[in-house]
Amino acid sequence: MTIFSSPGFRTGAREGFRAFLPLSVGLIPWALVTGMSMVGIGMTPVQAMGMNVIVFAGTAQLGTLPLIAAGAPLWLIVATALALNLRFLIFSAAIAQGFRGLANGPRWLSGHLLTDGVFATCVTKMMETEDKDWRLGYYLAPSIWSWLLWQSFALVGVLAAGSIPRGWSLEFMATIALMVLLIPMARMRPMLVAAATGGLTAVLLNGLPLKLGLFAGIFAGIGAGLAADHWHTKGELA
Amino acid sequence: MNAYDATIWGVFILIGLATTLPRASFIVLGNRVTLPSVVQRALRYAPAAALAAIVVPDVLLVSGELAPLNPKLAAAGAAIGAALLSRNPWLPFIAGMGVLLGLKHFLG
Repeated sequence: MTIFSSPGFRTGAREGFRAFLPLSVGLIPWALVTGMSMVGIGMTPVQAMGMNVIVFAGTAQLGTLPLIAAGAPLWLIVATALALNLRFLIFSAAIAQGFRGLANGPRWLSGHLLTDGVFATCVTKMMETEDKDWRLGYYLAPSIWSWLLWQSFALVGVLAAGSIPRGWSLEFMATIALMVLLIPMARMRPMLVAAATGGLTAVLLNGLPLKLGLFAGIFAGIGAGLAADHWHTKGELA
Repeated sequence: MNAYDATIWGVFILIGLATTLPRASFIVLGNRVTLPSVVQRALRYAPAAALAAIVVPDVLLVSGELAPLNPKLAAAGAAIGAALLSRNPWLPFIAGMGVLLGLKHFLG
């Protein structure tokens, strides 16, 4: 007898799945593009699907591909992945109360499966609901659905990419994907400042060894974003 | 892609840890720990800064030199335009890859 077969869990799972289903369609192009991009930089299908299962994060996968392809040092690849994933610290903190009363096992599983879409779908209802089984079902059903969609369509991308000639520059799809992710962020002024500073710094310091320019760009961008945020808020108060 | 064939799995596992640990952090810790608000605000800018620091050099530089007129930059412009003008999730990829392959074909 586990929490997963309790009536509360089942009701929660049904409702969570229904709430997330329309949104989940948006995962499909990302999974396809990620699958194609991994093969595009020269990974074998087994390596690509291995990365897809182990990492399970579109942005971190797409963002580290150019570095892996260029043979960047390991610490820089990991630092870049961390920078791309820092938003999850905030999501994790924001949704933590939704897991009150639940054991460590389900918490680790839920943590591993945390994605932007599931967070946005579940956070409010999980705060309001008392029944912990219902909350876990409401969170896990869309999470597991995301996982299945992500793996299946990445596999389709991986297999499709194998039959496309090298000269088609498939690796550029990763760059397009990263730009599309950046656009909604850059609609906020301080975020745009952070992005512009990060990008420009990386270009100016491109000559540095070990792709250190990228690292400098991330730090300069965060600093500039904070500064812009500060002035922005001050301007509104004045 | 040969030199690191043996180590690539280690790279995947480290990227995986760099993903799962931030995700699981507060869900596992519960409310025993909270982030100071300055840190929370700083963290919000990390993804935008990192994405731009990866993408901008890729489309502006050709073998390390500033190249304002290269096919990748034109393709990036087409992809961004498509993303701004349309809600279709496929269009930026079609427009960007179309321009890139078209220009490469015609410029030889």
